[in-house]
Amino acid sequence: MTHPTDRLRRRFVAGGAGLLAGAGLGALSRSALAATTFEQPFANGKRLIETFPEKRPMIVLTTRPPQLETPFEVFNDGLITPNDAFFVRYHNNGLPPAIDSDKHVIKIGGNAVGKPFELTMAELKSQFKAVEVVAVNQCSGNSRALFTPRVTGGQLANGAMGNARWVGVPLKDVLARAELKSSARQVTFNGLDFALKGGGDLIKALDVGHAMDGEVMLGYQMNGAELPFLNGFPVRLIVPGYYGTYWVKHLSEIQVIDNVFNEFWMNPAYRIPDNACACVEPGVAPTATRPIGRFDVRSFITSLHNGQHVAAGRPIAVRGIAFDGGQGIREVAFSTDGGQSWREARLGKDLGRYSFREFTFGFQADAGTHDLRVRAFNRAGASQPMEALWNAPGYMRNVVESVVITAA
Amino acid sequence: MKSKFLLAVFAVAGLGATGLSFATVKTMQGPPDSVMLTPSALPGYAIAQGHCTGCHSAEYMAYQPPNAGRAYWDATVHKMKKVFNAPVDDADMPAIVDYLSATYGNKQAK
Repeated sequence: MTHPTDRLRRRFVAGGAGLLAGAGLGALSRSALAATTFEQPFANGKRLIETFPEKRPMIVLTTRPPQLETPFEVFNDGLITPNDAFFVRYHNNGLPPAIDSDKHVIKIGGNAVGKPFELTMAELKSQFKAVEVVAVNQCSGNSRALFTPRVTGGQLANGAMGNARWVGVPLKDVLARAELKSSARQVTFNGLDFALKGGGDLIKALDVGHAMDGEVMLGYQMNGAELPFLNGFPVRLIVPGYYGTYWVKHLSEIQVIDNVFNEFWMNPAYRIPDNACACVEPGVAPTATRPIGRFDVRSFITSLHNGQHVAAGRPIAVRGIAFDGGQGIREVAFSTDGGQSWREARLGKDLGRYSFREFTFGFQADAGTHDLRVRAFNRAGASQPMEALWNAPGYMRNVVESVVITAA
Repeated sequence: MKSKFLLAVFAVAGLGATGLSFATVKTMQGPPDSVMLTPSALPGYAIAQGHCTGCHSAEYMAYQPPNAGRAYWDATVHKMKKVFNAPVDDADMPAIVDYLSATYGNKQAK
């Protein structure tokens, strides 16, 4: 079997001095001239491919702090995204140079607990029952660079998502030991990563009812191994069905508070228009906003890429993935004529309602171009729009994607 | 109805028996910056080198879409000071915004 990195490499453009003239990369350092590059499917989309600790070559969004996008080919290899290919997103470059899990402590406190306490990793692993869940983590701004009109921010294609098997302890069980007061309203989460100049540390909050739902958990194992440093070693918050902004890495402080936490990363950052579609007309300011929450429904063909050439008249097995915010995928419809007619794809093994779900369908392409589309429906009937929705921060893209192939 | 999590209860000894190894210390040293600020004769270039890329690498500027306007760069520079305590003098802000707009935004030379 071909290693996905080899496949990615074949699509790389060799680096060279000619890059200096490229619009996207600005001035490149000497080391970058030797690096491989990758062209994303949008304007100003030239990216470098580099290797970070515990990671295979990844698409670099930013070096400091590390922000790495998964090469899309990886999603065709299986339902579980390998740890060394899992996307990375940080907000500040204050990273501890080393983290010792034997010395790591989670402090649990706040003005709405009766008994603040501290928890070591050994205590977390030995004093509570572990649970396991297969769950997608997806960046709020996954696919941001595909918005039309374009929006500012981290310019990601579709690779800021991943699906992993997480093992950890329900937050509910940990918080029970702290004896929550009736005044408890929200729970805040902070990690070891910090803001270099003291402002804008990433601290996130969940309503106490959500934090205590038994599903939110303190995850210390990912796909059978310790978490990679860049994915939150030694423990991160797992918030199944919710965007990655809440999945605080290197979790070190939990506070139960009697008010609504309103610092920068909760307000004004990571907010969506407070309406059913989380969308507005381009350029129009929303009348109200709310914190981003659950994933919407998405689906992707992974076995073919846009612009691919295939042999005419031969059967093609098409494969892809679908997921949503936790209802579970009920159906994936596919079209080979740009959305004029639809049929039902076969669903693969169900790894749980928070996981990627595989779908497959067969297709025989006559000579010519074929516009393939897939559209998933979840068990609540929610689906994907045929035309892309828009919001200024570039969150929650979930349009029915188009993969145009040419058969000859 | 809530579907159930797959519940797996591990004894600590059981974890050991599965052969999982537990690294206790992990370090993080990423590669050096590959993308640098685009040189410019504008005075904001030197200021940005001193005050912006000290904390983050230059892809944050270089990868913005071609329609990123002056309003975006102005708001972003102000956010960097107000939220992240970027050590930028108010008097230097217009020069930084001039440089970013001319180099990375919709004011780029075509």
